[in-house]
Amino acid sequence: MKTIEVPALARVEGEGGLYIGVKDGQVVEIRLDIYEPPRFFEGFLVGRYLQEVPDITARICGICPVAYQMSSVIALEKALDVEVSPQVYALRRLMYCGEYIESHALHIYLLQAPDLLGQPSALDLAAIAPEVVKNALRMKKIGNEVLKAIGGRSVHPVNACVGGWYRWPDAAPLQALLPELEWGLEAAKETVRWSLTLPYPDLEIDYEFVAIHHPEEYGVMHGDVSSSKGNKTSVADYEMRYFEEHVQRSNALHGHTAYGGTYLVGPLARLNLNHDQLLPAAKMALKDAKLKLPLKNPYKSLIARAIELVNFYEEAIQIIKAYQPAGPAHANLKLKTGEGCGMSEAPRGLLYHRYKIDEQGMVKFAKIVPPTAQNLPRIEADLFALAPKLVKMEQEQATLTAEHLVRAYDPCISCATHFLKLKINDIGPA
Amino acid sequence: MNILILGIGQSLRGDDAAGLEAVRLWREKFPQTAGTVRVELSEFPGLALLDLLEGMDAAIIVDAIQSSASAGTVICLTPDELAGFTPETGSAHGWGVAETLQLGRSLHPSLAKCRVALIGITGGQFGMGAGLSPEVREALAKAANMLESEVLSLH
Repeated sequence: MKTIEVPALARVEGEGGLYIGVKDGQVVEIRLDIYEPPRFFEGFLVGRYLQEVPDITARICGICPVAYQMSSVIALEKALDVEVSPQVYALRRLMYCGEYIESHALHIYLLQAPDLLGQPSALDLAAIAPEVVKNALRMKKIGNEVLKAIGGRSVHPVNACVGGWYRWPDAAPLQALLPELEWGLEAAKETVRWSLTLPYPDLEIDYEFVAIHHPEEYGVMHGDVSSSKGNKTSVADYEMRYFEEHVQRSNALHGHTAYGGTYLVGPLARLNLNHDQLLPAAKMALKDAKLKLPLKNPYKSLIARAIELVNFYEEAIQIIKAYQPAGPAHANLKLKTGEGCGMSEAPRGLLYHRYKIDEQGMVKFAKIVPPTAQNLPRIEADLFALAPKLVKMEQEQATLTAEHLVRAYDPCISCATHFLKLKINDIGPA
Repeated sequence: MNILILGIGQSLRGDDAAGLEAVRLWREKFPQTAGTVRVELSEFPGLALLDLLEGMDAAIIVDAIQSSASAGTVICLTPDELAGFTPETGSAHGWGVAETLQLGRSLHPSLAKCRVALIGITGGQFGMGAGLSPEVREALAKAANMLESEVLSLH
């Protein structure tokens, strides 16, 4: 058997490797191995007080801490039957805007674009297109500044709590961001135009797209779980339709639907299911792009991210302009035994939390389903779809092609240092 | 002259905390010098390093390094030596100091005017968990003294 092996993937979040086994010119095995050590968050959350949960779960990821905080507070508020005020909710959306901006700007320009432009790294891209990378860093920085203005810092921001916020952020620092956000909105529109010019490999997959859907807003925190197959599931029923199982060779769990199928979460799913709910500028950018929806090419998730960038810049501007904090920053909590599920759309897709708490507010049970775990079987299935092309390529090209597909998914394996170690076993032409 | 002393590291990755600890120790031992410069401690700043260097005339970064030298070896890379460093890794997510500086210089020529030196403390183990290895802990005093000399030479 000949193999394609990437012991450690570069330009992805965390530590994972890729193995593709080829026999008699056919791909017979594909494994995306996650050897990021298991991090046991669901274990050590048990016994913690509920208000510690947002800040602990934020540590699961350095790029999407807000997603963990939001999914967790929504779940715990459900357990306590707490409803937050529209002002609290608006600020949560603003914080999410900051996270989407910094995450998407990073992935579009520094993680995926180098692949599409034949560059080994963002450094090399910067050498041939410095203004592009400069703008990308400026766009990312604005997202970080929004998080800092609300949560004190951009990595693992604080301030979010069960019931709302520890304190209302001052309006002035937020309003001071408006000029840069306006610049960012125009830069994001340009990002969409630029994204349409990139040379995407041909690959169309008939995905089952799954995302939060709400009739009146671009689904991020409120709504049901919607599937492109036509079914709608309440957040409370999510675990009845979408499962996670442990695969022996991996430290990550794999997601699949109740009838054993794979599904896709993330920007492609959101855009395809929720494009009617985009704000005007993003809707216009989508219209001008003349795209045929649904987008089914995993590499074109970059275009979806670009359109979402426009949307979240616009939303951030709207929320800040309307921001006039008044009233309590958080609801009073009446502790009781309870159980609650919460879901939000992290930049990479659906993020689900469920908690059980006792009458003193101590966590008795925690379950967290991250988006990448749900996408892992789909990534492997996509690689199988790519397989007939891979076996006709020279080894190095085949390896890069496979890696590019994985990177297009923007997998968030977890936050860790990582490195490129490439072990290539000879693979001859079929 | 705007001078930045920047300790970089990850406090939960073994010897990767060395840069942070060395700058803390220096600040304790030499409070007078520390009071004349800007001091920052940053857990894995990545690309945010460029923001930290903005407006600075000179910077001394203190960080753990991996090399063939034994754990606890302390080196000082001059600005010229650091500028010539070409990173091996193709990684763009876990942006290290060398890659970030290189990116910064290619994008912002004004950054090239900032003299950046590095004090590197060779680490022995970078696994999960807090705590420096004994050799690295012993090397902190040497790193702090080296940092003090470097800062004084800038004034």
